[in-house]
Amino acid sequence: MKNLTRLVTALAISLATTAHASAQDTLEKIRAAGVIRIAIDLSVPPWSYKDDNLTPTGSEVEAAKLLASDLGVKMEIVTTNGANRIPNLMQNRADIIMSALSITDERKKTIAFSLPYSGNTTSVFAPKRVEIKSFDDLSGKRIAVTRGTTNDGDITKMAPSDAEIVRFEDEATTMTAVVSNQLDIVAIAQSLVDLINQKNPGNDLEPKLTLRTATMGVGMRKDDVELKKWIDEWVKTNLANGKLPAIYKQFQKTDIPPQVMAEAK
Amino acid sequence: MTYEFDFAAVLEYWPLLVQGTWTTLRLTFFCTIFGILIGAFCAVVRTGGPGWARHLVGLYVEFIRNTPLLIQSYFLIFGIASMGVRLPILVGATIALTINIGAYTTEIVRAGIESIHRGQLEAAECLGLSRVQTYLHVVIRPALERVYPALASQYVLLMLASSILSSVGVEELFGMANRIQSDTFRNFEVFVVLGVLYLILAVIVRAGFALLGLALFPRRRKLGTPL
Repeated sequence: MKNLTRLVTALAISLATTAHASAQDTLEKIRAAGVIRIAIDLSVPPWSYKDDNLTPTGSEVEAAKLLASDLGVKMEIVTTNGANRIPNLMQNRADIIMSALSITDERKKTIAFSLPYSGNTTSVFAPKRVEIKSFDDLSGKRIAVTRGTTNDGDITKMAPSDAEIVRFEDEATTMTAVVSNQLDIVAIAQSLVDLINQKNPGNDLEPKLTLRTATMGVGMRKDDVELKKWIDEWVKTNLANGKLPAIYKQFQKTDIPPQVMAEAK
Repeated sequence: MTYEFDFAAVLEYWPLLVQGTWTTLRLTFFCTIFGILIGAFCAVVRTGGPGWARHLVGLYVEFIRNTPLLIQSYFLIFGIASMGVRLPILVGATIALTINIGAYTTEIVRAGIESIHRGQLEAAECLGLSRVQTYLHVVIRPALERVYPALASQYVLLMLASSILSSVGVEELFGMANRIQSDTFRNFEVFVVLGVLYLILAVIVRAGFALLGLALFPRRRKLGTPL
């Protein structure tokens, strides 16, 4: 029994030290290999997607390129999907995640996040000609939203009681309702509004009221302390010098949420 | 395989359920009234109207009966809106459902009209009844009475089919239930409650039709025999 305990302790210690050793190494390993493996989901325009020539692009991809070049290494994209972003990192198939990964308490239990370098805002959108300054201005108006989403919960709570909230079964139908002019006010994510505006330029939907802001960080394994230090510094520098906000604006067609700038200080 | 039922969490939302039930009932009521009017009119035209009108009604009936209700309601709620006519969603849904049920009613009533024996029409002619009088007293009423059970079933179906309209933004019973479900995540309970409510509604609609039948058809009220 005693022997067993000793064996287990020895194993635990050796595991801990190897983990520790590898921890110190990820940054060095990236530098030594001259390549950083970044997990990205390439199916979420305008964040990360393949353009008409099938070249990966988007605000996440461009930010990742910037990070790799600042680190002085090549970038290798590990293609993933939304659900497999974190498993890819944990199984050491990727060094970091840069894939519109919202910072949540739930995820913080498993991985470490850098300072936020990007974010996503859901808002109430309306055509330019409609005057909406506060939630009270929504009174008596009809607002489209997808049933059961966080947007639905937020707008139901925040809109005055005499606003009529029209709920649709999925985002596609909600977008149809807006594109067809059945309704002009909609509570939805910015990225989808860009699609609506592309298809229906006459309407010119613009954000009127913010519902919720999610901030996004680079995902790393918890023991990569050195790497986190370097990336945090990188985020600060590039938010301050305007490179990251410029990339964000180029793809998202709107300014980086102020909350990102505030939290990254 | 143990599932903890928690109906209290669902029944807490009873105001939403009442509101949804009310919307479904209202929708069914208006569609029934206008559906029967459209159906009876179109059936008369289809059996005794001029040739071009018969073809026109035939086109309407075939088109509506052979396309999905969902597409018809998309057309009325989103399609027409993109052409600049913005109907309130509930009105659009009512119109879509009425046009839909009108086509089915036409066919049912037509079957009733065609079942009227030629001898009845000849008798009416001999008595010197005008064409309108013949239609009102000799054709339509017995025709409706004969197909009444089929009509009642069709309108119960209509009430059940109205649940489809939740996907175009109508907050009827099914839409409300989906909302409760997305709030509570108790979908099993929600659908049990929903099933019971639809069953009650169907019984109400059937009872309504039975009463209406007694009021409309004095022959049946007095004799109690099928025509």
